[in-house]
Amino acid sequence: MPGESGKRLLNQEEFPPDPDLEPGFAPEYDPGQPPEEPGEEPKRPELPHPGGPPAPKRVQGQRKESMQALKELGTNTLPEIKSNIHCLTIVGQIEGHLVLPPQNKTTKYEHLLPQLVALEQSPEIEGVLVVLNTVGGDVEAGLAIAEMIAGLSKPTVSIVLGGGHSIGVPVAVSARYSFITHTASMTIHPIRLNGLIIGVPQTWEYLEKMQDRVVRFIVEHSRISEAAFREMMFRSGELARDIGTVLIGREAVECGLIDEVGSVGQAVSKLKAMIEEQKQNAGAPA
Amino acid sequence: MILYTPMPLELVTEGFEEMKQPVTRLVFWEGIPLIIEDTGSGRGRVVRLLSTEPEDYLRTDLFPGAVVRY
Repeated sequence: MPGESGKRLLNQEEFPPDPDLEPGFAPEYDPGQPPEEPGEEPKRPELPHPGGPPAPKRVQGQRKESMQALKELGTNTLPEIKSNIHCLTIVGQIEGHLVLPPQNKTTKYEHLLPQLVALEQSPEIEGVLVVLNTVGGDVEAGLAIAEMIAGLSKPTVSIVLGGGHSIGVPVAVSARYSFITHTASMTIHPIRLNGLIIGVPQTWEYLEKMQDRVVRFIVEHSRISEAAFREMMFRSGELARDIGTVLIGREAVECGLIDEVGSVGQAVSKLKAMIEEQKQNAGAPA
Repeated sequence: MILYTPMPLELVTEGFEEMKQPVTRLVFWEGIPLIIEDTGSGRGRVVRLLSTEPEDYLRTDLFPGAVVRY
């Protein structure tokens, strides 16, 4: 207290006394003002000092921090605030319930699923573009993402760039309209034995069931028939280490799995057309 | 967990045994619950968001891997 009153005296000497602050800074308490004093006391350190500029610094620090996080990390891309399209990138391995070793590039479903919820309810976002370059991954996580994309009420367009293999196939067909580039490939093969394996007939039946989930989803969300898809899945002689088929660009369209061959330009203009269509349909009954 | 991928399983799971679980903890950053991995000096790398607000998952400064000061 004695130090503080000393400072106040110094302030009063250096600067002309501020009429607003004057009663609070008075070293001697006026007997008429005691009820006001306790209320003003704790506020005083936050009042801007007449000599120094320390107050705005704190605000700047936080903004810088968020900008830095944006610059450092390449997890996912967000459009500018003005864009009405959200770009959802699915890359590398789709990670399941176990964290994969760090050499894998992974898509994390626990972040993607609530993100899709946000996309569904956000009024600014009118369409979703799903960009795929994936080597597959966990069956459950892949199907979860695919089901979420298929369930969106907003227009969705997917585009397979380098590859959309295995569990990437249901994700690619989950969008309302799908594109594949000329050079992109999609591998269709049976689900292999991994995970907890017990050599009993039930294991085989379980794998069969897992496979049916994937096949059913693909058949429901694309123009391919179940028989044709299964035939490609169990074809021998195409893959060196496995049975199955590799579809490249146009082949995926010809068999009915993907809707059109095209790249990002076609995909975005298709999505914009779909958004327009949705707007008109929404406006019609009203 | 069943992996459905054309990549050889040995390649995907290489180093799985040696993987160390990072020490994580729960913090509240501006009221948003986050699981972070401590990187020292008051900063942490986001491992997972626990928020129930969907909009938080669109924030570019809170993606998994983002560094936050808490």
